[in-house]
Parts: sequence; C-alpha cells; structure tokens
Amino acid sequence: MSRSRPGPDSVEVEGVGKTYASGVQAVRDVSFRVSPGEFVSLLGPSGCGKSTLLMMVAGLLPPSRGGIRVDGRAVTGPRPDVGVVFQSPVLLPWRTVLDNVLLPVEMLRLPRGQHEERARALLAMAGVEEFAGRLPHELSGGMKQRVSLCRALVLQPRLLLMDEPFSALDALTRDRMALELLRIWEQVRPTVLFVTHAIREAVFLSDRVLVMSPRPGTIALETEVKLPRPRSLELQESEEFNRYAGALRRAIEAGDRP
Amino acid sequence: MSRLAWPLGAAALVLAAWEAVVRTLGVLPVVMPAPSAILAVVAGRWPLLLEHLWPTFYQTVLGFLLSVVGGVAIAVLLVYSEPIRRGVLPLLVTSQIVPKVAVAPLLVVWFGIGDLSRLLLAFLIAFFPIVINTVVGLTSVDEDLIRMARAFMGSRAQIFTKVRLPHALPLIFGGMKISITLAVIGIVVAEFVAAQRGLGYLIVMANGLLDTPLMMAAIAVLSAMGLALYGLLAAVERAVVYWQPPAETTAGGTP
Repeated sequence: MSRSRPGPDSVEVEGVGKTYASGVQAVRDVSFRVSPGEFVSLLGPSGCGKSTLLMMVAGLLPPSRGGIRVDGRAVTGPRPDVGVVFQSPVLLPWRTVLDNVLLPVEMLRLPRGQHEERARALLAMAGVEEFAGRLPHELSGGMKQRVSLCRALVLQPRLLLMDEPFSALDALTRDRMALELLRIWEQVRPTVLFVTHAIREAVFLSDRVLVMSPRPGTIALETEVKLPRPRSLELQESEEFNRYAGALRRAIEAGDRP
Repeated sequence: MSRLAWPLGAAALVLAAWEAVVRTLGVLPVVMPAPSAILAVVAGRWPLLLEHLWPTFYQTVLGFLLSVVGGVAIAVLLVYSEPIRRGVLPLLVTSQIVPKVAVAPLLVVWFGIGDLSRLLLAFLIAFFPIVINTVVGLTSVDEDLIRMARAFMGSRAQIFTKVRLPHALPLIFGGMKISITLAVIGIVVAEFVAAQRGLGYLIVMANGLLDTPLMMAAIAVLSAMGLALYGLLAAVERAVVYWQPPAETTAGGTP
C-alpha cells in the first residue's frame, strides 16, 4: 500500500538465520521488508521460529547470520523507537496500570509529566482509563493485554512488534481485541509486525501476510491482503475474506508436508 | 476476629488448666508458679522488668536490622558475582552446621562483654534466613519480566531496582519474620553468657536466687516482646507488600 514512500523501509530482514547453542536451527535464511505504516503478519504453526524472528527484530536476541535494520539502522539491541507486546501481558504486579504504562518512560529517565498525559490518552483509547489507578491482578486477561499495548505505544514508537498477543484470550475477547487493535492502529499508525498462528486473525488485521514453514523456519509464501479498511467483524463472513483464509491454510498445509 | 478467637480460647484453656493443677496439687512456687502468681510478679516488679527489658529490646532490634542489611547485601553479592556464589555460598551453607550458641563465649573473649559481642551473636544467628530468602527472591523472577524490562531499555541497575528487588520483597519479609525471632534468641543467649543487664541476665540471676516466679515473669515479658516485634513486622509487611497476601516463610535457620 505505501511501498512507494521515500526513505528506508521500516524493517529490513536480510538472510537472517538463528541456530541456538544447542545446535537447533530455529530460523533459516529469512528475508523480507516492511514499509513504513504497513501492517504485516508473520503466520505459521507453533515452533516455526516466528517468535524467534520477532525477538531478533526487537534486538532481544542476536541473529546467527544475516542482518536486520529498522528505519535504516542496524539492530544491535533494544531501542526506544520500537515497542513490543508479548504473548503474556508481563505487567509488574506491584505497579498500578498507569505506572506500568509509564515504565518505558522511567527506564529512559524522561520527564513523567508530559508522558502521563499521553499514557492516560492511550488508556482511554484502549477503553481502560478507569483502571489507571488499579493493580494488574484486578484486571481481566483482555484488559491486561490492552494495558500492555498502551505500554508499548507510550513512547510513540515507529515500529510495533507483537508476539501472538491475543493467543491467551478466549475467542470472543480475541475478536474484539483485534478490532480495537485496528482502531488504535488507524489513529496512531505505527508500522506493525504481528506474529500469529491464527489464519483468520492474520487476514483480518494485515496488509500483507508472510507464511513461515516450520523447522527450520523460513518464509514459504507472501500474500497481499487487499481488503478495504476500516475493517469490521462482518468482513470475516465475506467470500473474499474466506478466499484469502483458504489460500493461506492450503499454503500452511503444503509447508507441513515434508 | 474469629481468626483470633480460636487460638485465644485455646490459650485461655491451657492457662486455666495450669492454674487449677498448681492450686489443687499445691505445687511450690519455686517449682512451678501459677499463671496468676506470674502475672502478679509482672505487675508488682514491673520497674525491675522494664529496666532489663530495654537493653534486650534495643539490642534485638539492632541485631535484627544488622541481619537485614547484611543479609540482603550478602545475597546481592551472591546473585551478581559468579565467583562469590561458587566460592562462598557452599561455605555459608556448611557454616550453618556450627551451633552458633556455642560460639557465644568465644565472641566474649574476642569482643568483650559489651554490646558488640551480643550484636554479633544475634547477627550470626539471624542473618542466614534473610540471605537464602533474598537469593531465592532475586533469582526466581519470571524470565519474561526480565525480557520485557530489557525490551523497554532497562539497564542492569534498573532491572534490579524496578523488577528483581520488588519481586523479592515478599520473600525477604518471609526471611525477616524468621530472623526477628532468631535475633531475640541471639541476644538472650549472649546475655546468659556475659551481661550486667537485660532479660537474659535477669533470668540467670533469678535462677541463682531460686526465684522461679521472677524467672517466669521475665520469660513472659520476653515472649510478649518477641510477639510484639513479630506483629509490628507483619504490619509493615502488609503495608509494603500491598499487591499480594503475606508470603509463607520458606527457609529456616539453625540457632
């Protein structure tokens, strides 16, 4: 969609591989690019190395081979212009919701005042502003994951990395979270790299889906999802949506067969 | 409040039975005074008891604080330094086999009969549970939390102060609750060995005079002091560790 924009790509992954010290090869020769503002999903069965790949883009894990650049600069470690949402909310239980969202601000020793306003605005956008003063254990799983999304967005990152963020939620909450993620994304517009094993979730959210084949993980197929935005849940019943989902499912099944 | 009613009721029953047995059998006070007689001594000789309570109290508190500061510091060294952990931790654990009470006379030889030798004995007895609980607390943090803190640019120092230490607090408090009772033992034993004041000294002196009611009054006051300190600590714990119920104690010590 925005691939003709000038300047460096948001994410450039080139020939990246990861072999653990144990000798297990998790990722093999993966290359792809993500344009600024684009929503891209990495889709694959569990154990295909997609989370490993995401952690390498986040700078939390060094690749064994190849190079990763974010906004044209090589990734050597975690960086403030990249926000991460993990599989579990990983909130600090002794901090209020607001203080959890402000954790990245504190880590960088930035002034709390102006960021508190932004944190509250994000919580309002995610529909959890009335819980700002509560502790995480008072929140449901879905609400905790919203708080975790606000934390990832508080420093206004240009790139948002999401590692199966809704996989621990029930199906109904999951659908609602996907819808809200899109709503927030359309207001904030960071580039998103979204890891998931749910085909329909990938189609619903993304501009582009990269299918990973397992062991060692590599990109087997790339599909552009040309469904109109803003998207609503009814879209999932459309024929076009199901055509995308069907094609991706067949691609994953083909990759599963040796 | 019914949580308190049951143990209080049970205690009242035991005391009543004790009182009845002493009275009906006519047991001599020098052998076993009745609870009422002990209470009378506590009330009647309160100035004497108070005079000896004070040194025991402040030395217990000092010995305990020394154990907390020293114990947490040793734990941090053990967690963050591989050579210290590999070299010192096994020795530290093995050293707990030494009955520290037996070291008390030696400490007097080395450090004299002043406060210092008593504080050192209290520290030697009370610091270990804090070390072990703090090490467990600092190292049992979920790896996902550490990874999250790293992703949001947390430095090693920030990960310690903002993640590891708060996570360890419930366990540190668990260690402190064991430690405070051990500190009382350390001070009293040190007072048995060499002191001119303190409840431990009073117990030994009353024993020499065959004044069993005074001895038991001193023990009662000592127990009340220990209970009050423990209760105070539990109250502080509830205020500091507000995000979860109090931790059960997980490590013991050998006095």
